[in-house]
Amino acid sequence: MTVGLTHYLVLAAAMFLVGMAGVLIRRNSLIVFMSIEIMLSAANLVFAAYSRLHGDLAGHVFVLMVFAVAAAEAAIGLAILVEIHRLRRSVNVDDLNTLME
Amino acid sequence: METFLFYLFGALMLGAAVMTVASRSAVAAAVWLVFSFVCAAGVFALLAAPFLAILQILIYAGAIMVLFLFVIMMLQGPVLPAEVAGRTVGRKALLALPAAAIAVILISWAARGRETPFGATPVTGTAAAVAELLLNRYLLAFELISIVLLVAIVGAMSLGRNEEGQP
Repeated sequence: MTVGLTHYLVLAAAMFLVGMAGVLIRRNSLIVFMSIEIMLSAANLVFAAYSRLHGDLAGHVFVLMVFAVAAAEAAIGLAILVEIHRLRRSVNVDDLNTLME
Repeated sequence: METFLFYLFGALMLGAAVMTVASRSAVAAAVWLVFSFVCAAGVFALLAAPFLAILQILIYAGAIMVLFLFVIMMLQGPVLPAEVAGRTVGRKALLALPAAAIAVILISWAARGRETPFGATPVTGTAAAVAELLLNRYLLAFELISIVLLVAIVGAMSLGRNEEGQP
């Protein structure tokens, strides 16, 4: 069986689900961040696969945009984490429940 | 050959992603994630996107993961505050339930019907071809994304300052 679009879509879906499971299950916020990066990477795969299908490089440009957004997200998110750690001495998402109480 | 490489890179990428999510230590998770991103670069290469494959390694596996590792080392220091008093199995199962539901929907949608084959002659995404598109039709988006990055840099710096206002 030749490898076509469907193979890549299933791979990206599986990758996205791994990331989503990480966000839902893990409590270490650093690993939650890494799971978000996994989900962004899955979206990139779909962009590249459809770009290959249609023979149009616009998908590659969108992947570049996702790279930039992922970099910005990582920089801001990690800066917020450092600040939270300074205030609360914890990076555990279950400890960050001030708004809930 | 292409089929073999797809399954090789795909399985390694997915396996490394699972190890990232399953690792107890954040440093191990970060190293697995680097491996996963390198394999994703291989998948990009299979999709006739050599420029994206190189950028994936440079930006993701390089720059972003170095930032992650730097913050992990800074926050957790020598003693890892491991997942003390972890969630109960029931709580984890409850959290995994929506993930499983979306898994069924997403994979059955992605795998619906028959295989859609790619065209015989791919349009290769070389640096020149992508840059041509990026600096002509998508010039405005390119400029806007550079502003997003600038704001992110300024925001990260202002968040990272300590009480006395020292950087």
